[in-house]
Amino acid sequence: MGTSLVKFGKDTARDVKQVARGWRWGRRPQVPRSAEPYVIPKETTVFPTKWARTPAAIAVRDLIQKGPLNAVLNFEVSPQVSGLDSLLKLDGPAIIVANHSSHLDTPLLLLSLPDAMRRRTAFAAAADYFFDTWWRAAGSAIVFNTFPIERRGGKMSATPGDLLADGWNVVVFPEGTRSPDGWVQRFRMGAAYLAVEHDVPIIPVGIKGSFAAMPRGRGWPIPGRPAVHVRYGDPLRPAAGESARDFAPRIAAAVSALLDEESTTWYESRRRAAIGASPSQTGPEAARWRRVWESTRPMRSTDNRRRAWK
Amino acid sequence: MSRPGFVLEVDDRTPPLLVHNGEGFLLERFPQGTRVVYPPEALPPVRDVDEAIQNALLNPIDSEPLPELLRAGMRLTIAFDDISLPLPPMKKPDIRQRVIEAVLELAAQAGVDDVELISANALHRRLTPNELREIVGERVFRSFFPDGKLYNFDAEDRDNLTHLGQTRHGEDVEISKRAAESDLLVYVNVNLVAMDGGHKSTSIGLASYKSLKHHHNSHTMIHSRSFMDHKASKMHHSAWRMGEVLTSHVKVFQIETTLNNDIFGGPLEFLQKREWEWSIKDQASFLATKRGLDVAPAKLRHKIFTDTRSNYGLTGINAGAIEPVHEKTIEAVHRQHLVEVQGQSDVAIMGVPFVGPYNVNSVMNPILAACMGLGYYFNSYRGNPVVRKDGAVILYHPVDYEFSQLHHPSYVDFFEEVLSESTDPATIEAKFEKQYAEDPWYIHLYRTSYAYHGVHPFYMWYWISHALDHCGDIVWVGANRKTVERMGFRSASTLSDALEMVSHSVGRSPSITYLHNPPHLLADVR
Repeated sequence: MGTSLVKFGKDTARDVKQVARGWRWGRRPQVPRSAEPYVIPKETTVFPTKWARTPAAIAVRDLIQKGPLNAVLNFEVSPQVSGLDSLLKLDGPAIIVANHSSHLDTPLLLLSLPDAMRRRTAFAAAADYFFDTWWRAAGSAIVFNTFPIERRGGKMSATPGDLLADGWNVVVFPEGTRSPDGWVQRFRMGAAYLAVEHDVPIIPVGIKGSFAAMPRGRGWPIPGRPAVHVRYGDPLRPAAGESARDFAPRIAAAVSALLDEESTTWYESRRRAAIGASPSQTGPEAARWRRVWESTRPMRSTDNRRRAWK
Repeated sequence: MSRPGFVLEVDDRTPPLLVHNGEGFLLERFPQGTRVVYPPEALPPVRDVDEAIQNALLNPIDSEPLPELLRAGMRLTIAFDDISLPLPPMKKPDIRQRVIEAVLELAAQAGVDDVELISANALHRRLTPNELREIVGERVFRSFFPDGKLYNFDAEDRDNLTHLGQTRHGEDVEISKRAAESDLLVYVNVNLVAMDGGHKSTSIGLASYKSLKHHHNSHTMIHSRSFMDHKASKMHHSAWRMGEVLTSHVKVFQIETTLNNDIFGGPLEFLQKREWEWSIKDQASFLATKRGLDVAPAKLRHKIFTDTRSNYGLTGINAGAIEPVHEKTIEAVHRQHLVEVQGQSDVAIMGVPFVGPYNVNSVMNPILAACMGLGYYFNSYRGNPVVRKDGAVILYHPVDYEFSQLHHPSYVDFFEEVLSESTDPATIEAKFEKQYAEDPWYIHLYRTSYAYHGVHPFYMWYWISHALDHCGDIVWVGANRKTVERMGFRSASTLSDALEMVSHSVGRSPSITYLHNPPHLLADVR
């Protein structure tokens, strides 16, 4: 009896382990490549996130962000923030637009914002990624104040406009997904469309170093507290009569200029921008490894504090 | 919306895949690059089954509407497929019940008194009264069974057989006397797979050994490529010739029904889902079912599987003349089962499930397991076999030494006496078939008990003759070593071992195709 119970226990553990590994418990499930054309797109159900913007949720989020999130972020990476004075030029809600190459970008952006603005900032998050399960949706909503946005459907969610109208700042990563190689991908029109439609300014942000610190596929930053730079630019406003199609390239150019500025100096980047010679941030046309190699080139930290060991 | 079948190529993202293994199943990690043939998902069923039945009976193909064929004073015989279809059995009400009730309703309106219903079981075992009731329903059973008007066909009742003549190839056509002498023979079919139906229904289902031996023999079976393609099957060609003779004597009104692939429901639904789409609930169901089955006593496990009833949805019903009706039927079956597969592979892998046509409410003995894997699954192709000539087949089934003395008495002797002498179909046919076919004890058990005919195990062995001829190696994974050795096969503990064992004929990195059925599929190998 005892032996058979032990055997049953062992066999059960073996089966559970096999299923846990096969179906990647705790991780995102995968579809075999050859089965991808046959996958039925999930019916999108709108996950309510209004509760995440109530005073109680804001208070809880403030505690999480300023407490453990801030501590972990600063323990694992070395954020360098500049250009925050540009935010002083705002007189109302804005759309914050940044390049996106890592899951670090969201906490980096959030925690680099002044507290008052951070508390009134919401993140547009991919519905198919962050809102595919209730627990992931609820978790990201309470910690980052996310709201779902359809990145594949082609139509804009109604929520960003409502949020802007209610005085919330909205963060949008117009590339739609994290860069696979650290270089900037094509900007989609959503942010420009929102700015034109709701007549709100865009705050361009250039984030450099986050891909090297925690690229796609990693669940935690690399050891060594890598430097990550976040640079804010001056607000951009759509000109009278400017369409989203015309405005979008200006946003992309502003982000590119900020990334250029990160590599050189503000003045040099302005001069290059003035003659239209800003270096492309889409990376060299080369094999993937060379693009990754280039984008992960170590940056000099501007943190000049002396360390005990070099 | 149902998705078509497709061929998966196993990659690093593929979870372990489900493999049927007798009264159980397991998860197997196949080598990367293995092709896995998935059947199409269940087609949407007909919304109003009764309306579809009425429509088929009133608007038949190449025939007068059924009411015009019915008149007072006529002899009407309704024959129907026996318990070997569908697999697993269907949840009540059985489609045959609904069709037979509709036919009888019209017969009653026409004032037909002389009606008999025959289960077309040929040399299969007789159905018990309960099994008959499950197929035809309570109303029909109560009206006909007590008077002996609902019964099993008896292929050894010499007084009730009629020899209709010979085909142009000299094949005897001997069928049920009652059917042969009827003014109208209505055949109610369940066309689960492409092999069923057409002339096979009447000229095999209602035929005697004298007639059946012309196509149920090793020579014909080895040249039936495959059984699932009646145009390329010698067995079907023979049945078609017999059908021509039969229909020249008897007016046949054929009613063929096709079912969808909705086989596993409730907690077993995961069995018909694609593994990477298993929800947490499906994974939990798998674990609970597998662990439960592993510790369940054999009897309970057997009962769980025996009691499985499938939902099935009706995808079509056609009635009228046999051949045009069957063409329509085949179209519907192909819609549900056909999957295009590009090229053959070195190795084919199949998981033999708990049920086959000949062990419903019974035990899947080693010969039936071989027949299910190498007869039915191997032949589930159109064009070319999934595995190349002299390739290897790897099957999963425990192949326990287990026989039903009630249902399969001659199988025991076949296994012990015949297979110990030879496993070559032609040799055993020449040496043993007549003796088993004419053995009075087996005939007695067939006629009075619930035993398959004495010759039936030979037929099972002929079913696998094409696979035996075609394949270089046949290995069973996890099977009883002694039983598979008796059948001339080999046993391996794991898939890796099996691949190792066949490597001398297919090499170290063979191309592999796994047929992921049930639900049923038909590989259209180009």
